[in-house]
Amino acid sequence: MSERRPFHRPQPRHWWAHKPYLAYTVRELSGVAVAVYGAILLAGLICLWRGPEAYAVYRRILSSDAAFAVHLVLLAAMLWHVLTWFQILPKTMPKLILRGRPVPQRQVTAIALLVAMVCSAALLVVVVAIGVTS
Amino acid sequence: MRPTILHHPAPKRSVAPVFWLLFGAGGMLSALFGPALIILTGFMLPHGWGVPANFSDFPHVLAFVRHPIGKLVVLAVIALFFWHGAERLFLTLKDMRAGPPLLLRLMTYGVAALLTLVTIALLLAIGF
Repeated sequence: MSERRPFHRPQPRHWWAHKPYLAYTVRELSGVAVAVYGAILLAGLICLWRGPEAYAVYRRILSSDAAFAVHLVLLAAMLWHVLTWFQILPKTMPKLILRGRPVPQRQVTAIALLVAMVCSAALLVVVVAIGVTS
Repeated sequence: MRPTILHHPAPKRSVAPVFWLLFGAGGMLSALFGPALIILTGFMLPHGWGVPANFSDFPHVLAFVRHPIGKLVVLAVIALFFWHGAERLFLTLKDMRAGPPLLLRLMTYGVAALLTLVTIALLLAIGF
């Protein structure tokens, strides 16, 4: 028999649904929304593989109001993921030192967010440009 | 008195870095291009906003997915997004003490692995 009886601080069952842990839970679930979006794309791939009829059904569903609403929610979650992802970035990467001075974490986040915006905007511009020229 | 020599056994190798790498890659890919992808496939392509109406036609999309680069893009987006979500869901459910870790791993990493294989199989079945 072990003599060790360490003290366990009591923890409410639904601790993750309350402040200050709620922010953590929401951040983690925004990552799950990323996977949900992946599932929507996978469903499209399955329909594409099955043939034109199945793909037509997929297109009809995707142009429905319900799909529009789902994508709005997913977009909001994705934007939250982008923001929190780059807030974490300076905490996980090695300390950045420029000319003998540490770069503040907020600045790293701001620059990374700018890069992300440029990436996303560039992708949309490229697709629209292909559409215009074709 | 003789000095005590402590023999440390080699640390056990962990597979965790593999999952972290996939999680990080998916997180970065979605952080950089995720919003544009959702706007593109969720709003612009289905409604023909800003792109020609025939852009999401069956032959067009099939041609994209048959191209090797298109295949790579589709695989990277779908698989890495799943691995990212799986890691986050696993850690959250573990912290919530939602069940035994092995079951949680199967429900998250297991599903991500399975869907990655399904995606690869579909891309190969669709052909080049």
